[in-house]
Amino acid sequence: MSLDISFIGVLIGSIMASSVPLILAASGELITERSGVLNLGVEGMMIIGAISGFALMVITDNLFIAIIGSMLSGVVISLIFGFLTQSLLTNHVATGLALTIFGIGLSAMLGKNFVGIPGKDFPILFSSLRESIPFFGPILFGHSIVLYFAFALPFLTNYFLKKTKLGLVVRAVGDSPVSASNQGINVILVRYCCILYGGGMCGLAGAYLSLIYTPQWIENMTAGRGWIALALVVFATWSPIKVLIGAIIFGGISILQLHMQAVGFRIPVQFLIALPYLMTIIVLVVISRDSRKIKLNTPTSLGRIFYKEK
Amino acid sequence: MATDLRISNISKIYPGCIANDNVSLQFKSGKIYALLGENGAGKSTLVKILSGIISPDNGEVFLNEKNLKLSSPLDAKKNKIGMVFQHFNLFETLSVFENLSIDATEDNKSLRVRINEILKKYNFSIDLDVPVLNLSAGQKQKVEIIRCLLRSPKVLIMDEPTSVLTEQETEELFISLKKFCDEGILIIYITHKLKEVLSLCDEVAVMRKGKVVSVSQTQNEKVETLASKMVGQKLAKIKKKINTSKNKDEIFKVKHLNFYSDDPFETNLVNLNFSLKKGECLGIAGISGNGQNELFQILSGEIITPDASIIFRNKEIAKLNPKQRREYLMAFSPEDRISQAAVPELKIYENVALNNFKSSNFFEKGLVNERKIKEHSKKILSDFSVNTDNVELKSQFLSGGNLQKLILGRELITAPELLICYNPTWGLDVGAINYIHETLIKINDEEKSTILISTDTEELLKLSDRIAVIYKGKLSKIMPSVEVTPEKLGILMGGGSID
Repeated sequence: MSLDISFIGVLIGSIMASSVPLILAASGELITERSGVLNLGVEGMMIIGAISGFALMVITDNLFIAIIGSMLSGVVISLIFGFLTQSLLTNHVATGLALTIFGIGLSAMLGKNFVGIPGKDFPILFSSLRESIPFFGPILFGHSIVLYFAFALPFLTNYFLKKTKLGLVVRAVGDSPVSASNQGINVILVRYCCILYGGGMCGLAGAYLSLIYTPQWIENMTAGRGWIALALVVFATWSPIKVLIGAIIFGGISILQLHMQAVGFRIPVQFLIALPYLMTIIVLVVISRDSRKIKLNTPTSLGRIFYKEK
Repeated sequence: MATDLRISNISKIYPGCIANDNVSLQFKSGKIYALLGENGAGKSTLVKILSGIISPDNGEVFLNEKNLKLSSPLDAKKNKIGMVFQHFNLFETLSVFENLSIDATEDNKSLRVRINEILKKYNFSIDLDVPVLNLSAGQKQKVEIIRCLLRSPKVLIMDEPTSVLTEQETEELFISLKKFCDEGILIIYITHKLKEVLSLCDEVAVMRKGKVVSVSQTQNEKVETLASKMVGQKLAKIKKKINTSKNKDEIFKVKHLNFYSDDPFETNLVNLNFSLKKGECLGIAGISGNGQNELFQILSGEIITPDASIIFRNKEIAKLNPKQRREYLMAFSPEDRISQAAVPELKIYENVALNNFKSSNFFEKGLVNERKIKEHSKKILSDFSVNTDNVELKSQFLSGGNLQKLILGRELITAPELLICYNPTWGLDVGAINYIHETLIKINDEEKSTILISTDTEELLKLSDRIAVIYKGKLSKIMPSVEVTPEKLGILMGGGSID
């Protein structure tokens, strides 16, 4: 029995690890969307973060620089999106889609020389505790610092939006940019900041994949996680805590269905593969039924172009 | 300390339109000033300049002889100019307190104390912790006013503040404004409602086509003098010749109309009976919310009441839907122009096509014949003097008056035998009201009938041949309008009885 319990501990630990990129990217996108900007470029920003982080790690041999660099690359590529949508007033949806396509192509080009290079071990924290405490050890300890950050992020995001003045400003801009502007808030600046923050988090999410989760560079290695993160934000009705729940469910069922496949359940593989998507949607729809709350959390101006009267 | 606000030679030109043409005005605290003008006269542009939202091409603003640079809303705030917009500048999903705290410099605790002081002082009752979207229009406006008061303003500008208020709320607003004025706040009141100017304001500046055409003391003005200044010409006095001939054919008859609803926001209708002759106008008066909505929807066929009998041109139509009733030559002009009568996102010609499915040849084999619809729409625009000839324009860009003309035009061009309209001049300026009234009288002159459901008693007395009052879903005795006075209507509308 003790073997089973420690196995479950390890399983939970691996579920947590697999949900990290979703939590990071979705939390970043959540702030962006809360300011009224719909950036569909999450997948593109993640993959750029993944290749930048990996390349910097190979070139500088310094993981700290690699992590910071991946975030900066996300910021830079989201700056393109910000400039197009906020300064040149292009359509959010089209620009975001273009960003994703661009990101995937650019990362493949940049990554050509990095295919097949082995990654580096990322330092993990409290590794001795992981081994010495049964069950809770593998859950709570022995993870990278990025994982701890990711699991704190939804709570920080929630606190930021609900309790701080800046969070209030972000929500106000997302609710009614015209009113905010008439109140003297610099709507464009706020939205730029939110877009860049979202880009940074997506970059970090990508770097987590290429430096920590599966430390290597594979073309198109984000494999649609950016789209899942986007969907999580909507299905979680823009609530950071629900994003966390959704990400864990998605990560969890993705891992579980692999084990189910391995054990040989008599369920079609295609159904097992579809299961994480299905379950995440069902659970999030069920926990987000309060229409009044949805209305209060939804950024009213999402995706609409704002321009200032002159 | 006295406040003195001076606007000097302000001009603002948009492509194709001079919004403000060399406007100069002077205001002093202790008085309430009216800025009067029709829709599009340039009032809103002027107040947007004063609140720093747009910058003028030319001209200056002085506050106590200090030249103000108003290049952003922050500048207006710093200079203690407060502004309450017609379309509220609130964040609907945020709580009242969050709305008020967003640009406050103090901490939340002392802010809450100050807000509560204001609430108490002016007798406002608003829950600070509910989201703004739960508030009524009057409460939202109070939140806007509190937001201004928190900054102890020297100048308070109110842009068409009563357009969304009930009568009760309007009275409360006027009391508050007079209080502010007594406390030394300079109040500029923008409106196109003449009576409000006369009852509230001390001085009135009239704007027309971007220019200030007159500044005067309100005590020297009357509704008629202000109206003619505002529209630039003497308004023709419309007088309807009352239709008294008793031997005309009955065209419309409603018997035993009952309506029962579970929805607490709807009014039940109890046994309504009335009939209408050719060329006659039947007015239905009442304070809004007494069953007018339900009555209009039943007459138009949006709600079907199978038990009632509605005879139109000798045919039972109670079970017909709106489209079938239209085909049978009825026409409808609902109260809410934007959401019920027209689709704001559609172009003018598309809106025209919406209700003319069968009577015209707009559609051939399921395809839209755009050319014919456009020709037809152009005719409506010119026949009903809508202020544009561009049928491609989205309807939302039409002013209320022009949209109402378009809707009436669309309904009338099919030559209906009966037009049913509900508050057709709600929120319109005098020029447009006059035009609509003339049109409605013309319909009766052409031996067509109208049912006019309205909350405006003056309008009813002017246009109706006979009048009834609806109160809590019951209809009063139908009276010839020559025997009706505004006082009598008032008593009936309040639920009293006369004999």
